[in-house]
Amino acid sequence: MNLSVFLNHQWLNFWRARNANKSLAIQIILGIFYFLIFVEIAAIGIVLPFLLKEKMPKTNPISIYTSYLIYYFLIGLLARFQLQELPSLSIQPYLSQNIQRKYMLRFLNTRSLVHYINFLPLFVFIPFIIVVVVPSYGPIAAICFFIALFSLVLNNHFLNMYIKRKTINNAWFFFAVLIFIAALKGLDYLKILSFEKASSSLFTTILNYPILCLIPVAMAILVFIVNNQYLKSHLYIEELISENKKKESKNFTFLNRLGDIGEMIALDLKLIFRNKRPKSLVVLSGVLLLYGFLFYPKYLATSNFSALFFFALLITGIFISNYGQFLFSWQSSHFDGMMTYNTNMHQYIKAKFSLFLTVCSLQFLIASFYGLMSWRLLPLQLAAYLYSVGVNSFVTIYVSTFNYRYLDLRKSASMNFQGIGAMQWLQSLLITFGPALVFYLLDHFAGFWYAVLGVSLPGIAGLVFHESIIFWLVSQFKIRKYKILEGFRER
Amino acid sequence: MIKITNLRKSYNGIDAVNIGHLELHPGEVIGLVGNNGAGKTTLFRLILDLIRCNEGEILSKGNSITQSEDWKSYTAAYIDEGFLIDYLTPEEFFYFVGKLNQLSKADVDDFLSSYRVFFDEAILNKGKYIRDFSKGNQFKIGIIAALLGNPELLILDEPFANLDPSTQLRLVDMIKTMAMERKMCIIVSSHDINHVSEVSSRILLMEKGSIIKDIIGGESAYAEMVDYFKIR
Repeated sequence: MNLSVFLNHQWLNFWRARNANKSLAIQIILGIFYFLIFVEIAAIGIVLPFLLKEKMPKTNPISIYTSYLIYYFLIGLLARFQLQELPSLSIQPYLSQNIQRKYMLRFLNTRSLVHYINFLPLFVFIPFIIVVVVPSYGPIAAICFFIALFSLVLNNHFLNMYIKRKTINNAWFFFAVLIFIAALKGLDYLKILSFEKASSSLFTTILNYPILCLIPVAMAILVFIVNNQYLKSHLYIEELISENKKKESKNFTFLNRLGDIGEMIALDLKLIFRNKRPKSLVVLSGVLLLYGFLFYPKYLATSNFSALFFFALLITGIFISNYGQFLFSWQSSHFDGMMTYNTNMHQYIKAKFSLFLTVCSLQFLIASFYGLMSWRLLPLQLAAYLYSVGVNSFVTIYVSTFNYRYLDLRKSASMNFQGIGAMQWLQSLLITFGPALVFYLLDHFAGFWYAVLGVSLPGIAGLVFHESIIFWLVSQFKIRKYKILEGFRER
Repeated sequence: MIKITNLRKSYNGIDAVNIGHLELHPGEVIGLVGNNGAGKTTLFRLILDLIRCNEGEILSKGNSITQSEDWKSYTAAYIDEGFLIDYLTPEEFFYFVGKLNQLSKADVDDFLSSYRVFFDEAILNKGKYIRDFSKGNQFKIGIIAALLGNPELLILDEPFANLDPSTQLRLVDMIKTMAMERKMCIIVSSHDINHVSEVSSRILLMEKGSIIKDIIGGESAYAEMVDYFKIR
């Protein structure tokens, strides 16, 4: 059994996946997107040495480069948690065939290596090495340096695989490493301990004594062997993906008092917590709350209120946008059931709206802390919040009645474009740029407070008339109900 | 209970369901048989307003099922896993459906305890989500959830297919009792002509979307069905 046969099957699988051909346009756009990213990173890799020479002519570019390498590898590990998937599921059909285990192991290892995250480092390392290292240290040292770096990349790769397989609770580990990195940077900044200097001297030592590159190589081999051993002894379906925690029945007592709507909301919450894709999506949106730290200061400095409003919209409305995109598709696997249970459509849609209202309000409350940055952010965020719950929530519900695509909740959300069509892009644009534009115009022509008022009014109107709007949404939903049901049945 | 008039549903020009006139009454246990692709599941989906018909109408207790949602309060069904919320534990699912039918947790608990034998210790308190149960057990969960609301109309698609023999017999008993005592209208589709002839008071034979035989259940029905299928 050749390795090439496995890889060939994977190749076919990629092209023949159920929804792969449904939107050629999307595939092309994605392809261009990825290509551009690659080109950008390659460009950075090539330009970096010259940039360094220019900006910091006094310091040795190599020492700067090497001092940041430690962050590169740590962040690389983090990125892999999110972006790298275990190839375990693909091995199931082969387990019962007349194939020796060693071939399957070989496949699992090789298959996992074929990932763009393993090709990126080439673009980051090679240009720099050629331009800077070779002239200073000679070709042999450069080659050994590259070997050392790439071994560390492989080390990261198999370490990530191992950790994921052992199912050390991913979320905790992720934050632990994140905090670790922040701590390192903090210690460095406060000049207590300098890990950057340590990193720099570490890698420069390798450059000076090329033979030392064998150490990272040994590390990589070690992690590979550990990973392989684990795989060998766990090549059983249920052990490749270990999920053996006992599941508890959850009871949201406060929601119980809200009747049918409370039941629906509880259902949505359980859906989010217990399924991979919605969970990672929602966590991502949660992290977006912190974006205020990134963007607010910049635009506060220039008093660019329109831009600030745009980000306020993002921060308060991200849940509606992310979760709402697939509002009905989340329940696509049991939508048949949802339509026959003893509840009416009005309750169902109202429950979705209530969910939006609750989460949005929570986000607004948390985001109020940004008011400490500048009091002007508070009215902006209030306007954004009102607009999000009063207008965007309904727009999102309306647009999702056009979504007929089935969603597999077990796959991860990163890089998962199943179910995304032109509608989704259009919707994202509508609900963020639309109001931002309106705000800009009002601000430009009338002034800050008029702009705030102008965007808040539709929101308030939406909230006041929500019953009638929901009525209308239900009728829209009923028109397309059959199409939705049909689309969801097609897996 | 159910009145179907001139019902037609076609895909790509071919009729999946074509029924001129059909009436179902409370207290009847209707067995729906037919070869694969005869249109049984499509008919169920039409009755549950999950598919839009091309022609005709379905009345439930005199009201059109497409115009109002009232039928949901006395109708329950289990067709396939699409009727289960797979990321809930069975208990959560039962409480959820119970709540929708105005049953408190205590009511649901009471209800479940009366079906303890049916569950056979395999379903409650297992600490698993519904998606982790075997197909047959999922079916059991679906059927019991369907009964939670004390429906007047119950639709089951191939219930005998996935159950173990002891549960199959229990189900036959349950169906007969419920139809008699509670005057429920129960529609069951199956490929098992033994069970179907035993449990049904009326048997409908479907072929290529139309009902070609409408006979009274019992011994003679069994013989007639064997006759029909042997020739096919």
